[in-house]
Amino acid sequence: MHNFDFFKPASIEEAAEVLSKYGEDSRVIAGGTALMLALRQRLLQPQCLISVGDIEAMRGIDWDPGHGLRIGALTLHSEVAGSEAINTHYPLLAHLAKRMANPQVRNQGTLGGNLCYADPATDPPTGLLALDARVVLHSVRGTRELLLSQFLVDYYTTAIEPDELLVEVLIPPPGSYGSSRYTRFLKTAAEHRPLATVAVAASLDEATCSGIRIAVGASTAIPMRLSRAEKYLTGRQISAEAIREAAAFVAEDIDALDDSRGSERYRRRMTGVIARRTLAEVFGIEQEVGGEP
Amino acid sequence: MTRHVLNIEVNGEREQIDVSAHRLLSELLRDDLHLTGTKRGCETGTCGACSVTVNGKLVKSCLMLAVQADKAKITTIEGLGSAEKLHPLQRSFMERGGVQCGYCTPGMIMTANAFLETNPEPTEAEVREGLGANLCRCTGYNGIVDAVMQAAEVMRGA
Repeated sequence: MHNFDFFKPASIEEAAEVLSKYGEDSRVIAGGTALMLALRQRLLQPQCLISVGDIEAMRGIDWDPGHGLRIGALTLHSEVAGSEAINTHYPLLAHLAKRMANPQVRNQGTLGGNLCYADPATDPPTGLLALDARVVLHSVRGTRELLLSQFLVDYYTTAIEPDELLVEVLIPPPGSYGSSRYTRFLKTAAEHRPLATVAVAASLDEATCSGIRIAVGASTAIPMRLSRAEKYLTGRQISAEAIREAAAFVAEDIDALDDSRGSERYRRRMTGVIARRTLAEVFGIEQEVGGEP
Repeated sequence: MTRHVLNIEVNGEREQIDVSAHRLLSELLRDDLHLTGTKRGCETGTCGACSVTVNGKLVKSCLMLAVQADKAKITTIEGLGSAEKLHPLQRSFMERGGVQCGYCTPGMIMTANAFLETNPEPTEAEVREGLGANLCRCTGYNGIVDAVMQAAEVMRGA
């Protein structure tokens, strides 16, 4: 690994100053689990690293019934998994964080770092998309808020500018979208990178779906919402047949990746299967075992 | 390029040490402090052989810069037990055949110890899940899982 300068600003303002000076020649380091690999493989060779590990204002999880949830960008995945507020109000996110990657990485990796790296084969972006999350970016030019769907641009690409710092993630109150589930599909149990992920948050009015957000990731370059399946289910009486139909739309509509980890056809089929199972869990519908997706 | 003076506590001993920014924590432990119990295996965060605890949290020391550990308390396998006074996990790994070549063992034991702190009464499936990021190419894992189950019992009683 090449050598570099290492800065440890004590505040968001100080970090923004350093970032505005070095921009593209620098990289922000939080936990470092992803960045370390990129440096070692020489995918990145920044002149300096800006460590945000000392910035207290980027830590913490705050819940407010009126505003929802604020998660500081430095929050570890293990802290998301263990947070009482997240377990109570966003069980989908807690469930996702409890099993993502592996114990060591959950103790090192941060939510903000995970989002900035924009690796498709990971869990948080899909879950956060189904929860309508936003990110807050700060630079010397000011602060702006982006929807996660605006922030994630493409394979390993985000809308963050070279002088910006992701400081926190905001999630609106769940409101009536109280029924939610997250499913990850791993090709083998030993692999920690998902091949397909599905997150669903729904609002139920007795047996009718009154609103739903369906997000798919890992099988796509960036997580995406599935509007045709969402529209199909909204206002509909939920049945095993309706779920099967919606899952088929999901499999058809995704921009599936096609690479050495999984062909396009395989990814579509597996995404369809886990979409059907996830929807069945959300709506409490019994599924016959071994059925077609 | 910058050099940094770190103040760290390793296995209860305070150390002040000068490192370059690109020094990995695993390199600091092995090459600067000569604590060679911690192993370097894949060096890409996959094998878990370099697992240590930093401020009580289990981490992979090949995925962390030494400068990130400034002011931290670090525990390595050398801090867990000694030849005279074995840690229950060290004893159970010997007794239950959890060791063959031994290369993965320090990382396995550090991981198992951190796991048992959060889950002192685990099922076998939970042990396997907890050790999911530590690779062993010799034992087929059964001896290791048996050893962790045995140590859990001993540690609960102790």
